[in-house]
Amino acid sequence: MEEGGPKALLVEDDDRIRRVLTVGLADEGIEVREAASAEEALPLLDEDVDVALIDLMLPGIDGMALCRSLRERGDLPIIIVTARSDTDDVIAGLEAGADDYVTKPVVPGELAARVRALLRRRRPTEQPRRELAVADLVLRPEEGVVTRAGEPVALTRTEFRLLTELVEGEGRVVSREDLLQRVWGYDYFGDTRLLDVHVRRLRRKIEQDPDSPSVVLTVRGHGYRVQP
Amino acid sequence: MTARRTASLRVRVAVSFGLVTLVVCGALSAATWFLTTGYATAQRENAVRARVSADATLVVGTRQFRPGGLPDLLAGLGGEPDTTVLLRSAGSWARSGPAVSPDALPLELTALSPGDPPVVMRIEVDGREVMAGSAGLGTPGDLLVELAPVRELQSTRRFLALLLTGGTAAATVAGAVLGAWTARRSLRPLHELTAAASLVARGDLDARLPTRADPELAALATTFNRTVEDLGDRVRRDARFAGDVSHELRSPLTTLLGATDVLRRRRDDLPPAAREAVDLLGPDLDRFVDTVDDLLEISRMDQPVDERDLDRVDLAGLTRAVARRQGLEDRVDAVPGDTHVVADRRRLDAVLTNLCTNADRHGGGVVRLGVGPAPEDPGTVRLEVDDAGPGVAREDRTEIFERFARGSTAGRRGAGTGSGLGLALVNGHVRRHGGRVWVTDRPGGGARFVVELPVAEDTI
Repeated sequence: MEEGGPKALLVEDDDRIRRVLTVGLADEGIEVREAASAEEALPLLDEDVDVALIDLMLPGIDGMALCRSLRERGDLPIIIVTARSDTDDVIAGLEAGADDYVTKPVVPGELAARVRALLRRRRPTEQPRRELAVADLVLRPEEGVVTRAGEPVALTRTEFRLLTELVEGEGRVVSREDLLQRVWGYDYFGDTRLLDVHVRRLRRKIEQDPDSPSVVLTVRGHGYRVQP
Repeated sequence: MTARRTASLRVRVAVSFGLVTLVVCGALSAATWFLTTGYATAQRENAVRARVSADATLVVGTRQFRPGGLPDLLAGLGGEPDTTVLLRSAGSWARSGPAVSPDALPLELTALSPGDPPVVMRIEVDGREVMAGSAGLGTPGDLLVELAPVRELQSTRRFLALLLTGGTAAATVAGAVLGAWTARRSLRPLHELTAAASLVARGDLDARLPTRADPELAALATTFNRTVEDLGDRVRRDARFAGDVSHELRSPLTTLLGATDVLRRRRDDLPPAAREAVDLLGPDLDRFVDTVDDLLEISRMDQPVDERDLDRVDLAGLTRAVARRQGLEDRVDAVPGDTHVVADRRRLDAVLTNLCTNADRHGGGVVRLGVGPAPEDPGTVRLEVDDAGPGVAREDRTEIFERFARGSTAGRRGAGTGSGLGLALVNGHVRRHGGRVWVTDRPGGGARFVVELPVAEDTI
């Protein structure tokens, strides 16, 4: 394992599940801070945390609200843990700002794999300080910076990675499968809802008119491409 | 079969109505015919009798007082233009009007004795039907015969015959139509019941019979609707129960899975006995999780498909991907053609995976994964999963798609047996996508599971 290992904040109200996930993730090399509620979780965020694992059904402030407030604070990667795979719950969680989701019953090994996929950095490339440009956007992948007409745009790490993959396609269609594989690390396909909600979130940040996008275009039945 | 029986009942009612109308109208027509023609004939006879008597009186008078005027008188007798008047006087015949041979007249007319009342009868003379009247002239052998045409009588009879026959025929047809209409009308509730019942049988528990004012039909509709409602409640309760149970099981299962996951990872650190215990625990726990997942999925089966889950999916591509995951790449047999369908990828993946798993568990493994446009219908994409097993007995072919059906392995449980919900899920998913699934024999032995889905409409 990497030295120190990633640090995760786990917000889960069921004691037994929280304990077993903590033990399991620790065994996978992930250090876990535990919180039984959103209220308990908030103070822990000031500490050094790499990823938040949030159960959607929490007493008091619910998981969805916690997601939103985390998103307002910054781009801390979030994985939601839901008891259901109902479309509504999943989409609502993703819209609230989550980067990925898993459904219970979840195995610590699988959760650890999702955490690692989310936290992995892009391999440093040979040519340093690349710049990619599309429409009025300029991306610097190595620095994780994107500007729109010179103004910096705040993207989450996942949104940034998604945009980079699309821009690197240079106008060609990038298939859903490829995007899910390269951005989220899913072998064949994850849920396409995951991709669709992220594209929607991305458009809201980079498009003039998110309802009729001019940069990130949908190619029905295949995937997405950028308009160079 | 039901339709045919109903139709024949309708035909029977129509025929009965028609026959009854025919008999009643026929009898009425016959009576009308005989009464009317009898009356008209009698009228005509009376008229001829009166005229011949009067004419005879005239002839007797003329003969007595003005014998020379007889031929003129004769020409003016008879009244109607086509009437033949014959006068036998002292053995010789005098005539006016159309020619008739006196020999052709029947004896009843010519053998009158003086003092006999006039005779009237309908006869045919030289191919012409006439009303003949004969009256004596007071002296033996002399008599006056008048032959009046009956054209009007004949045309009246013809017209009447036409009218009555036509009327009877029309009434018969009307009766049959009325019968058919009445039968259909009175059978309509039965049709509605049949339609509603078959909807329910196909799984539409929202089908209801319309309520009616008719007390007998209202009772039927109420009973039927209440039964379907109860059935629907029970199905929903069962589904909810299954859903609730599996939902409740998820928390403890998460704990169990998490703990077992750690133990599996640390398997090599465990003493042999504990290691064996973990080895036993693992697969059963996995199956438990699969069953709970499947059960939850089944409990959602009655909900409509969420539009947001639908996407254009290339079934051939998906088949290759699933085959790759299962190490069956060399079994894929893709026929070229449009294989795009509109589907929820996750569920379609589950269909493929479950069919492959089923072939592994019960059919000695997948020998071929065929995918391509359906040969006989270009609007349909077909998937065929062939195995090398014993096949599925004809009587089990519907049942295996039901929940917890285990076919020939019933009662035998081992590490290889699944949740018993796999094929039910396949069936449910395929049906929710507007397709169908069935099992048949593979040419050369084994079973062939066939899935057909409608091809995605616009090909981009």
